[in-house]
Amino acid sequence: MTNGNIESEVISIISDISGFDPGEITPETSLPDDLEIDSIKAIELTVALEKRYKISIRDSDIPEINTVGQIIDLTKRLISHG
Amino acid sequence: MTEMSNTANKDYDVIIIGAGIGGLVCGCYLAKAGMKVLIVEQHHKPGGYCTSFKRNGFTFDAAAHSFGSYREGGNMRRVLDALDLDKRIEIKRYDPSDIIISPDYKITFWADTDRTVEELQQAFPEESESIRNFIRHLTTAKPIDFAVLRRKTFKDFLDRYFQNDRLKAIISIPILGNGALPPSLISAFTGSKIFTEFLLDGGYYAGECMQALPDALAERFKELGGTLKTSCLVKKIKVRDNEVEGVVLEKGNNVSAKYVVSNADARQTFFELLGSNVVEKDILHKIDGMVPSLSIFTLYLGIDRPPETLPKAGTNVWFLPNYNLEDLYLSAKNMTDDIEYFMMRFSPDKKTILAFANAPFRDRKFWYDKKLKFIDTFIRKIETTLVPGLSTRVVYKDAATPYTLYRYTLNYKGAAYGWATFPSQLFTPELKMTTPIKGLFLTGHWTTHTQGIPGVAYLGCDVAKLILKKERTYKK
Repeated sequence: MTNGNIESEVISIISDISGFDPGEITPETSLPDDLEIDSIKAIELTVALEKRYKISIRDSDIPEINTVGQIIDLTKRLISHG
Repeated sequence: MTEMSNTANKDYDVIIIGAGIGGLVCGCYLAKAGMKVLIVEQHHKPGGYCTSFKRNGFTFDAAAHSFGSYREGGNMRRVLDALDLDKRIEIKRYDPSDIIISPDYKITFWADTDRTVEELQQAFPEESESIRNFIRHLTTAKPIDFAVLRRKTFKDFLDRYFQNDRLKAIISIPILGNGALPPSLISAFTGSKIFTEFLLDGGYYAGECMQALPDALAERFKELGGTLKTSCLVKKIKVRDNEVEGVVLEKGNNVSAKYVVSNADARQTFFELLGSNVVEKDILHKIDGMVPSLSIFTLYLGIDRPPETLPKAGTNVWFLPNYNLEDLYLSAKNMTDDIEYFMMRFSPDKKTILAFANAPFRDRKFWYDKKLKFIDTFIRKIETTLVPGLSTRVVYKDAATPYTLYRYTLNYKGAAYGWATFPSQLFTPELKMTTPIKGLFLTGHWTTHTQGIPGVAYLGCDVAKLILKKERTYKK
């Protein structure tokens, strides 16, 4: 799995959960402000990423997630450490 | 009409199955955006679990008896504001919203959260700081912070803050009542949302009775150009090449639409309305193995004069006989002959009492034999615990059994809160708002996401937004 693939796949998962078109989602996009990711969608997103990549997001990682780029980086890091 | 693709030859843009609060909110948002929407409801009035009925001159709320999340920025406030209903329905907040009575404590939940915190701190001084931290966390956490709770139970969450088991039980009794699971089984997310949305921001009431809420939504829906068909059962959701085509109504009428939103029971949606030739076997298998929430037994009493000892009208009073919520839950689930814990409420019009207890599903025959006995057991219980002399004031008594809940809403096993919200059932991918069938969406408390009136209003609104985003007509 290349980094580019992961990036576009994570964006597609975020698009599926937020309903926003992948074209509107960039690494700088804010999850709560631009994509209206509320507590329900935040859980959906973490569960979907953990399931898709068989990773486990740690509690300490969660408060650091704010933008799409941050969640892509976290996913990549957890896959490479997995 | 908006510029919509593929809908020119369809009867409607969207058909919504079920006029509960989720379906009505969804319909209003879509109709407001210019879509042509049909809502089909099998009951003769809209509302689902949020209806009211009249008997012998008394008005009773059928199940939902108050709602939460109406603070500035709360889900209910946002939805009613967006639909211009905030000025049309008179929304009152009853203060206090809830009182919990246990053998050793009486804890009141005030509209002023600081006052509630003080009251909890006075009762449990050794937990003073933890109480403040717990409530502060729940009221100020960022949305993403809740992701930490995704696999945890409410017990895990409480254990992080508190030592005192009595305090944990007091915090958890309204969650057991409103979520039908004890702390060790209910997800931390659901438990914390019930606590913040129903208790810290609870006690709201619409107009003269709860029916005012669905009635106002239905009226607004029609004004926005929507069509509401009541007393009409949907028999099938029609699908061709994995894309919805519309629905078949009970008399065999076909109605076509680009999108179908099911606000109905999920088992019915997948097993009956779609059927095994449409949905993949492993999805059906997964849904077949899921556990529904318990139901409730609801007591309706008309009284000729208010007993002096009744708590304030509009306040939910919870009776907790001991602090072992795990055993109390099991006694409700296994349906012993006694009712151990319950909630009662003196209605805002001061003429009736509604009380409810968690109860399992049993068939019509069972309740035919037991209902009257259970009504009297319940009245005696309230009389011996909270309201002495109650039975001498009762001039009308009736009850809704779990079977009644099923009969009026067709919810599987009369489930009061959709699927049981174990962490393992929360956010089940097969039951998210989008489905593997193009154009078919799910909403309501069977989506495993959330429950309660604010919860289903949120889901109705959110599904509408998903559809509008697909149509590229969504405006933030």
